[in-house]
Amino acid sequence: MAHGTSIQYERVAEIGGGAYGTVYKARDTESGRFVALKSVRVQTDQNGLPVSTVREVALLKRLEQFDHPNVVRLMDVCATQRSDQETKVTLVFEHVDQDLKTYLEKAPAPGLPPGHIRDLMRQLLCGLAFLHSNRVMHRDLKPENILVTSQGQVKLADFGLARIYSCHMALTPVVVTLWYRPPEVLLQSSYATPVDIWSTGCIFAEMFRRKPLFCGESEVDQLGKILEVIGLPPEEEWPTDVSLSRKNFPPLLPGPITDFVPEINEKGAQLLLKMLTFDPIKRISALNALEHPYFKDEEILTQTKS
Amino acid sequence: MARTGFCDPKPLLDLHNKVSICSEGLNPALIWIFSQDNAKFTREVFSLSEGPTFHNKTSKRQVENNLLAYSHASLSSFPLCVADGCMEKPVLLHPPGLQGLHSLQVLMPSLLRHEVEMALEKLDLIWDRAYAWDMFLDMMRTQMQNSFPNTDLPQDFTDATRAVLVNWLIQVHVSAETLYLAIHLLNRSLCQIKVYTANLQLLGMVCLFLAAKKEECLLPEVSGLCYLMDHTYTKHQLLRMERKVLCGLKFDLSYCPPLHFLIVFASVARCSAKVVWMARYLLELSLLEGQCVVFQPVQLAGAALCLARQVLEELGGPEGEAAWCLASSLHVGSETVLLRIMHILANAAANAHTRETCATFIKFSSPETMHVSRHPGLKNASGLVGICT
Repeated sequence: MAHGTSIQYERVAEIGGGAYGTVYKARDTESGRFVALKSVRVQTDQNGLPVSTVREVALLKRLEQFDHPNVVRLMDVCATQRSDQETKVTLVFEHVDQDLKTYLEKAPAPGLPPGHIRDLMRQLLCGLAFLHSNRVMHRDLKPENILVTSQGQVKLADFGLARIYSCHMALTPVVVTLWYRPPEVLLQSSYATPVDIWSTGCIFAEMFRRKPLFCGESEVDQLGKILEVIGLPPEEEWPTDVSLSRKNFPPLLPGPITDFVPEINEKGAQLLLKMLTFDPIKRISALNALEHPYFKDEEILTQTKS
Repeated sequence: MARTGFCDPKPLLDLHNKVSICSEGLNPALIWIFSQDNAKFTREVFSLSEGPTFHNKTSKRQVENNLLAYSHASLSSFPLCVADGCMEKPVLLHPPGLQGLHSLQVLMPSLLRHEVEMALEKLDLIWDRAYAWDMFLDMMRTQMQNSFPNTDLPQDFTDATRAVLVNWLIQVHVSAETLYLAIHLLNRSLCQIKVYTANLQLLGMVCLFLAAKKEECLLPEVSGLCYLMDHTYTKHQLLRMERKVLCGLKFDLSYCPPLHFLIVFASVARCSAKVVWMARYLLELSLLEGQCVVFQPVQLAGAALCLARQVLEELGGPEGEAAWCLASSLHVGSETVLLRIMHILANAAANAHTRETCATFIKFSSPETMHVSRHPGLKNASGLVGICT
């Protein structure tokens, strides 16, 4: 039990340089199963491991006890000292071969059937509702960290990592994608669990479009692209404590969402708009989204079967 | 080497003398420890002593109506309980294992659920009553994993050594939650990682340090902790042990302390501040008893409260009895288990003042804790346990 990760886990391949450092696919020599190793280097001062790291990893461990089907399994955690100032914390997750990005790319020509999209969305929201009810926000939801098993089971990955890494992010010059970021994050206003719902909305649209909904190149550009779709919000919804003024954007009116996501049905479009609501307070919650009529509409299923 | 640290009386013996010393600014680590402690204690006692006020808010009439509704609602599920306002057995629910949780929700009369929600809210354990019930279920679920299958200790390690170590941690003492978590982490570490006897004190301190990292706003300095251990170990050793413990426990620090259940039960049962202090004393004594690690926190809390009421002979008249009935339906577990724990606690309390490991006894003999540990009723507490509750 006490032996280090390097002995028990045999690196097989490098899988994606995640936003927070390299992720390795490895083989668990005890069980023979594949795992994903994610390491983070944390600065340790004279008081040992930072409180934030201890609490966040402990929280991930606690979530693990619930064994939620739509959340990736955290199998092991290990801390090893690298130097007096640095400790490496390795999180060992179950390995799932495929993420939603490749899943969408692999889907044959007309894209995923509507019933299938609905199933994926339901699972995605279930996982999210679970995290949110345990006071965990993902903060960096995107197709790359939504895993899809060969049986079509959705598993959220990398949640809570954002907080563990955030203090050390300044050190790693990585580009984090802006495409799934909500207005409040782009505006650097305060934010909470609704950020994940925004990202889920973007991903929902992407499942139909098979390409991202908003591909901004900078914070301002990203916000401009968003407002082209949802329109310029009323003055009172614009956060007050931000540097970027509402006046910088043209007075756009919202266009019909089906112009941007043509294949979506009516109820799906309603739900999508509730997720892509500018004001985070008015944005639908994961639990309420699961109650939306979109998920109760049985027609889609029968259509796809016939 | 092994015994230098914790047999040395130098680190804190008399808790309350030390409070005055550290307010003069002798050691920052100690100030941190005691100011935290006092603040939390005062808050808890304060909120608990609100009990009677809270009671008054609900009129007698309302209480009767509620209880009537309660008895109607529960007639089918608990025929034993209601006939004369009190039950034959203190334990109403015997859910077998974890599946019990679902049935708990079904069986729980709405009044009881309401009481639990109010208690959690009143005790500041939640920030929104809408989540209270889920949180209580979560507490129940967590605590079920917080007991140990047996009392086995690693080789070269006896119940007596364990008690000396725990006693020392009680003296170093942070807030109550941190202390309970620290002892839990210590118990788990003893099962999970190999430690030389010489490093036991270090292990105990690291568990306390990690518990503080999880629970406290202000962290003790590692140098302060080394001072408390009389510099038996270096900072470097302490930090190495921290990594070892975190890896051994796989960073799992989740725990639901029996103290939380105690406070919830006491609030539902409308216990007086004195009963609560007595129960807290008995509960803390359980930390020193190696045989108590096999019991669930909820059982320990129920037993401590039950015994406290008997020792103080404070049963509170028919209303108090009714409230107690309600609260005791929360002690998941069998009556035998409850009585066994009460026996252990009664014996521990009767002998507490004669033992070497008497930090808890001293702590609870202070005026702030209403001198509960010196209560004459504790001398023959074990005699009380035989009597049916």
